[in-house]
Amino acid sequence: MSNEHTVKSYEEELRYLIDSVIKMGSLTESQLVDSMDAVIKVDKDSIDKIIKSDDEINKFRSKIDTQIMTLLVKRAPMAIDLRETISSLKISQDLERIGDLSKSNAKKVKPLPLDLPEELLGNLKRLGDLVIKQLNDVLDSYVNKNYDKAKEVWEKDEQVDDLTYIAMESVIDFLSKDKKNLDFSTHLIFATKNLERAGDHITNIAESICFLIKGEYLKGSRPKGKVIQQ
Amino acid sequence: MNEIKIKSKNLNVYYGEKQALFDVNLDLNEKEVTALIGPSGCGKSTFIRCINRMNDVIDICKVSGNIEIDGVEINDKNLDVVSLRERVGMVFQKPNPFPKSIYDNISYGPKIHGKGETKSELDEIVENSLKKAALWEEVKDRLDEPGTGLSGGQQQRLCIARAISVNPEVILMDEPCSALDPIATAKIEELIDELKKTYTIVIVTHSMAQAVRVSQKTGFFHLGKLIEVGKTEKIFKNPDNKMTQDYITGRFG
Repeated sequence: MSNEHTVKSYEEELRYLIDSVIKMGSLTESQLVDSMDAVIKVDKDSIDKIIKSDDEINKFRSKIDTQIMTLLVKRAPMAIDLRETISSLKISQDLERIGDLSKSNAKKVKPLPLDLPEELLGNLKRLGDLVIKQLNDVLDSYVNKNYDKAKEVWEKDEQVDDLTYIAMESVIDFLSKDKKNLDFSTHLIFATKNLERAGDHITNIAESICFLIKGEYLKGSRPKGKVIQQ
Repeated sequence: MNEIKIKSKNLNVYYGEKQALFDVNLDLNEKEVTALIGPSGCGKSTFIRCINRMNDVIDICKVSGNIEIDGVEINDKNLDVVSLRERVGMVFQKPNPFPKSIYDNISYGPKIHGKGETKSELDEIVENSLKKAALWEEVKDRLDEPGTGLSGGQQQRLCIARAISVNPEVILMDEPCSALDPIATAKIEELIDELKKTYTIVIVTHSMAQAVRVSQKTGFFHLGKLIEVGKTEKIFKNPDNKMTQDYITGRFG
């Protein structure tokens, strides 16, 4: 934002809202990192902590909703302030959904055996690392109001699709070798799919940031990678 | 987009030595509402007063440049100002009914413009004007009571009825709701929405929300210059000019 508002408290309320979104984003990122770590290390002890952190994220979402409603009623924001307010609403919704997906992945650790093959986890880890980087980059573009970086994240979701495909293929391969792998393989397939969906929410956030900065939505459809048939 | 009804070209206005408008080029579309916004003293009222040559009554006021209505220059010295003001009605900030009955407030204009020669013709004009101004149902049983006895919102609608009684083409509104409560304001805004089907409306307002609600086009003035004009939605969501953004978001100064 350029000049400050004539009404200082309005300025503070907007800054407070943006700060809340940044904090919620940082919490969501930590939760995603923890849940990925739990899956890859099959660390059953950390499940409860991750589930609990989702409550914190949900609390942020409610807090941001309240802040937005107050801003709309009190200030009737216009132009950049209106876009800032609406984007905060949309970004917080996407962050909350990413939190839900991380929680869901943490829950999937419980039935997993401790001796999962290396290559199976390797592909999943590559996907998880990319999704974490995407989230980190998109939050960075929000903090710095960097249009190009947000657009880059949006375009890079193609790679998330591709790695999802590879990770899915390796789980299906593993499953086809021995039907007794069915139970935990299903969990791994869902975990992979959850990461792909988290990637989609990250692209939504990137779109919101582009709209916030330029006042118009990204044109055209984003590049899509290989997708496993649903 | 509708056709252009009013076109100002390089319009300059001076009050003595002080220049109030600088090269204003602004097109106003027919049967649309155009809102003019900007800080006090920015020239928005001066601009609308040029459209019906109200500035003529100020001795020190000098106007240069052009204003055309339907392609006809209105600053022409030979133009009949009375007939111009019949075509371009005006509603002011403070409701200003004549100290006469509700009926006479409406019938006065048509009478002096030679419209409605018989009592029944005048009755019809009064009824239609009050109906168009959404006031008929509230006053039909007391048309002989003084207009000044109505509430503020009703008085403003009476003034709108008075303006439309001579069947104008353009209605200029200079902060028509600034003296009204929210309900009366809502009624006037609803009325503006209805009136735009028939008339070209220009409204000066200090309420950003009102500009968004009632207008299709918005012009932002600052220090006598038209800074930005465009579709209302664009101006309030994503203006091109930084000054416009600073003004509408309350960062001005």
